[in-house]
Amino acid sequence: MKITYKPLGVFVVVLLAAGIGGAKLVGLWKTESTKQPVAIREGEFAGMPNPLDIRGSYTWDDVARAFNFDVELALKAFGASDPTTKVNTLESIYGEASLPEGTEIGTDAVRLFVSLLTGLPHAPEGSTILPFSAIEVLRTEGKASSEFIEEAAARAYTPGAVQGVPATKSAEPATDIPPATGDSPGAPAATKTSAVAVPKIVQADLPASPVFDAATPTTSTTVHTPSPAKSGGESTGEGAVPGTITGKTTFKEIKTWGLSEDQIKSTTGGEIGHDLAAIRDWASSKGLSFSEIKARLQALLDAR
Amino acid sequence: MKAKTAGLGKKSGRKARRIVQIVFFVIVAVTATGGALKEKGITIPVIPDASLHSICPFGGVVSIWQLLNVGTLVKKVHESSLVLAGIALVLALLFGPVICGWVCPFGTFQEWLAALGRKIFRKKYNTFVPTKLDKVLRYLRYLVLAWVSYMTAVTGKLIFQDYDPYFTLFNLWTGEVAVTGYIALALVVALSLFVERPFCKYACPYGAVLGIFNLFRIFGIKRNAPTCISCKACDRACPMNIQVSTAKVVRDHQCISCLECSSEAACPVPATVDMLALPGQVKDTFGQETAKAGKKNLGGEK
Repeated sequence: MKITYKPLGVFVVVLLAAGIGGAKLVGLWKTESTKQPVAIREGEFAGMPNPLDIRGSYTWDDVARAFNFDVELALKAFGASDPTTKVNTLESIYGEASLPEGTEIGTDAVRLFVSLLTGLPHAPEGSTILPFSAIEVLRTEGKASSEFIEEAAARAYTPGAVQGVPATKSAEPATDIPPATGDSPGAPAATKTSAVAVPKIVQADLPASPVFDAATPTTSTTVHTPSPAKSGGESTGEGAVPGTITGKTTFKEIKTWGLSEDQIKSTTGGEIGHDLAAIRDWASSKGLSFSEIKARLQALLDAR
Repeated sequence: MKAKTAGLGKKSGRKARRIVQIVFFVIVAVTATGGALKEKGITIPVIPDASLHSICPFGGVVSIWQLLNVGTLVKKVHESSLVLAGIALVLALLFGPVICGWVCPFGTFQEWLAALGRKIFRKKYNTFVPTKLDKVLRYLRYLVLAWVSYMTAVTGKLIFQDYDPYFTLFNLWTGEVAVTGYIALALVVALSLFVERPFCKYACPYGAVLGIFNLFRIFGIKRNAPTCISCKACDRACPMNIQVSTAKVVRDHQCISCLECSSEAACPVPATVDMLALPGQVKDTFGQETAKAGKKNLGGEK
């Protein structure tokens, strides 16, 4: 059987067309994410959408629809105006601002916001902070306990205090968001910021982390210590010291730090993720509390 | 009269490939542009708006590891990439890297530049790289493949995007291209004026994957030695510089199934170089024959 140009060309085109058509018919042809976050698999929140699966390609509408809240809350929280804008635009909005070194307001900030708003678990990256406008929304609407919201508040970015954020975007939420506890409605952003009731925590409690050092300028003396919580406070980011578990630490890393599989399993209820999986992501996918696992693992590491 | 008819047949055969190449180039260009515009909030009716990543089968290939181990696709890769990777796999099993020779728009782009290079250097075109060096460099793409696969598995990100001239070509205006991408594209453009398909030969990780199928594809390029007049027209026509004239069955890992060497194109003798089914062929790379196959399929030549 001789294959010449024309039959080969026809075969290639037909197979590609048939393959794509067939995939479309059975629902396999997806050229973009479904905008429906995967569900938490196990635990108290099993079946609920997982904030960890919010992608930068989601629009504000997508996020609000997936987590069943009013999109206006997210728009106010992040100073956005168009609900059809993708959340990854935050990176460019706040990327232009001189945020404290080592901090970031991006897609993970949206995950954290959603987590605090809905009460669903999420362990944010060490570098993630929220704009202050989001804290104000959370204080009135958030379903997470006030302790967790205040943890986020302690590290929040104050728009007026940072230069470079486009004025229309950063200033907008400060005037529109619901008044924070103790504030008088309509007060200027700066006044609101200075009036934030943030729990004061002893400086010595802070972990020696550049992330926290860098995150504190806007809150001066009011910094917080992340505690094991369902929102999963974290103290370290990518540049973490070996032996210190962060949101990006993988199972392989803790093994190289000296923990055996059995020891790891003893903290997770008998299961263990793939070597290259981040413990936080794995725990989240299993519906387990990363903060609790992290605390147990850290204790094991510290005891060595 | 016969010669004229044969010439016309050759032209129409080649034209078929050119048409298929142009069609896919346009589809990919329009789709990628629509996708990039959508990212910027502009939707044009009728124009498909998938991202370039979602219609690239290589994304499916590099996602397989993560899919099997973690259950998710690499960031920016979607199910469509897996579908395309599957179709490309079937095509490669049957015809070898036909995706490279017929579908890949970046291969087409390099061929267009090659036409320009041929006008400049005429017969010298595509002969500048010393054979020994060229032979070694041809394996570079497997190193690229190993590096890309490892880094993608470790980071969970499309690590090659920042160095990919293909991505750069279709995203020149989007602001998403890294400096390294521009450098890679400039390098490929410049080299294409001297060497045909330099990226495919030396650096394309997906070409490396598909190239392996040349070793066991079902339909392959065969040379009928008894009728061959050793004019080497096939060698000169091959964009990948494969020495077809010394092989009985082309099993070179660089063959892109373009049929340029065949009796339907470059070879002046009918039924001498053709793509045929290769039953029982186990190996015949770089001119080495399988005696059994040679006797059975090639008229018992020794």
